Amino acid sequence: MAQQTDTILSAGIDIGTSTTKIIISQLVLQNTAGRTHVPRVEIIDKTVLYKSPIFRTPLLDDTTIDAKQIEQIVFSQYQLANVNPSDIQAGAILITGETATKQNASELIHYLSDAAGEFLVATAGPDLESVLAAKGSGAVTYSKQTSKVIANIDIGGGTTNIAVLKHGEVIGTVTLHLGGRLMEYAQGRLISVAPAIQRLFANHQRTIRLNSPQNPATEQWVIENMLVSLKAVLRGEQDTDKIPLLLGHVPNWSEHIDCLMFSGGVARFLYPELKEVETSNAFDDIGEKIAHALLQDSSLQAFQWLKPLETVRATVTGAGVQSTEVSGSTIEVNEHLLPLKNIPVYTCDFQHTHANIEEKIREAISTAQQLYQIDGEETHYALYLKNIPYLQFHDIGQMAECILQHWSSSNTIIVILESDYAKVLGQTLKRKTSTKNIICIDQIYVNTSDYIDIGKPVHSGVVPVVVKTLAFHKA
Amino acid sequence: MDSQTIEQITKMVIETLSEQQQHDTKPMISIRNPSEPFRDNSSLSSNGFIPIQEIAPKEFFEDFDEKYANARRKTPARIGIGRSGPRPLTKSLLKFRLDHAAAVDSVYGEVDASLLEKLGFFTIQTKVENDKETYILRPDLGRKLTQHAKDLLLSRCMIQPQVQIIASNGLSAKAINANLENVYLSLVQSLESLQLAMGTPFYIEQGRVGLMDDIGEVLKPTVVIYLIGERPGLVTAESMSAYICYQPRHGTIESDRTVVSNIHQGGIPPVEAGAFLGTIIEKILRYEASGIKLVEKEG
Repeated sequence: MAQQTDTILSAGIDIGTSTTKIIISQLVLQNTAGRTHVPRVEIIDKTVLYKSPIFRTPLLDDTTIDAKQIEQIVFSQYQLANVNPSDIQAGAILITGETATKQNASELIHYLSDAAGEFLVATAGPDLESVLAAKGSGAVTYSKQTSKVIANIDIGGGTTNIAVLKHGEVIGTVTLHLGGRLMEYAQGRLISVAPAIQRLFANHQRTIRLNSPQNPATEQWVIENMLVSLKAVLRGEQDTDKIPLLLGHVPNWSEHIDCLMFSGGVARFLYPELKEVETSNAFDDIGEKIAHALLQDSSLQAFQWLKPLETVRATVTGAGVQSTEVSGSTIEVNEHLLPLKNIPVYTCDFQHTHANIEEKIREAISTAQQLYQIDGEETHYALYLKNIPYLQFHDIGQMAECILQHWSSSNTIIVILESDYAKVLGQTLKRKTSTKNIICIDQIYVNTSDYIDIGKPVHSGVVPVVVKTLAFHKA
Repeated sequence: MDSQTIEQITKMVIETLSEQQQHDTKPMISIRNPSEPFRDNSSLSSNGFIPIQEIAPKEFFEDFDEKYANARRKTPARIGIGRSGPRPLTKSLLKFRLDHAAAVDSVYGEVDASLLEKLGFFTIQTKVENDKETYILRPDLGRKLTQHAKDLLLSRCMIQPQVQIIASNGLSAKAINANLENVYLSLVQSLESLQLAMGTPFYIEQGRVGLMDDIGEVLKPTVVIYLIGERPGLVTAESMSAYICYQPRHGTIESDRTVVSNIHQGGIPPVEAGAFLGTIIEKILRYEASGIKLVEKEG
């Protein structure tokens, strides 16, 4: 007898510094455990149903995204893909790279989430982009098959997002001001220089003027600084002075990198054999020259180079196809409360011991309430229980009592457990309260400062979940 | 052979041996401290022995390779455990024998009587009559209640309960000792939450799965859930299964039983299993079917 499957439609929308693209995919869910086991529902197949062309990101001016045009693009692409916004059950919208620092990015994302359907919306952060690009480029899948440490380097228009992978796990991320569109030309004259590059000039007591003619030497100097930064982070440099174009935190991994995989718009010029179909988008910027410099650099060539599955669409593929996870199948949720979006997560680490469990829960709840409570409003947050020791029935009872006793701010108790205890904890909580709603899911891996979207349960009883790291990066 | 000849031979042997002893000041194979530099003074000319090939001392670690360590996180199988020549390491061998001994112990072990008392389970016998060898050799006897057991059930149990919970050591007493309490308490909470009515629970010494049909004939329950120790393996000796059947009676076929296996600390946690089993029972009552029939009705 064929095993029953569920399908969900997932969308990814990536609004980048230079380009905007959309992907629609279908995820197939099936119970992969044997008939005599408790079900274990997994995503067994991911099919891309529709890839949009690469659009130029519409801007009203340097600091404002044209929301009306973005909406039109989304609307037209949904029509071409033959899907209704209401069909979309999972996925993510990302505003990536420099675009994420544009004034109206945050409003746009809320606006789009309504226009694009009641689906799960991610507000991007550079760490999340790095992770999604590495998933979309195929680096994560490749990493599972090797013990080599791989850096996926996604070079877009405004930023380069690097994710370092080992055994299929992301072990670190870093972001650089490195992108094709940081210097732009029109008719041989410089028409735009990104603030990060302007600062670079200022720091070296050099000047650069808009409208000046294209100058190969200046360009070369900028690209050299980009490469210095890239090579510094690849060797794990901790001194910010040695990473001139660093954006955010220094490298946060400790392993030595063996292989490089490049994705993003600039990567098209690195792997000419991949034959990207887009030819219409000839950008008058430094993207191709950056690619050329990367190919010429002997110390970068010393790494093993890997071919990506996607270049310019890596991030949108990651967002649309790879961002959704499913919970464990024995969970306790109130369907009417779902979907829930943008729930901040606070971690309570049991450290694999029964010692002080109640104390730890009390502290975590009180800290989370201080962090996420807004006066007079009912705000949701999720308590994440990790490194859970082996729990007996009376442990569960005590935990439930403790959670109910301290959870005062909101009427919905959301608990996410790392290991398989959601059903019994949810059931116990429900029996002990008549006033609070309970959402208790498990087998999801998150961290404090992550946000999580929880979708409506599908037929097989699991809920789709999108985990995302914190919102906008301040440039 | 006369005594003179024997004497001569004995003399010869003793002489030969004493000669050899004089030569044997050096052992045939020397065990060398690896930190000392190796001096090749064993050439044929100096002491008459064939030189011994130098072999580099080798150290073994349990996780000697990170690649194996990563693979080992994904499986309880004994992979990447190292070897010494063609043999397993002593540590691996001892672990293997320990796990095997634990498996044997769980078959021949006893269920803790105070646990059953605490949970309020009384005990009945099957026709095996409490003999381990008979239990193993005669599965058919493990599927039948004694007349005394039937009388006891009729006198102590609720008749025609909606849900009848029963437990047996089966092939692993350890499974019951380790998991019964957590599964049972969680299951009871789950059934109460779902407002399902339970009969009188009891424990069967040395029952087989098919015994639930005999019990079904006596008590006429709508659903039986039977918690039983699984045949132990080398990964765990504490695994328990839950067999659930809609109206088990004589003639019920095996495919009509729903089973949830692998309930133990390293599988599905017992407390979570209990909560899950409640929802399965509710579904079985709703569809009035279990096993493959339930799968078919669910569509």
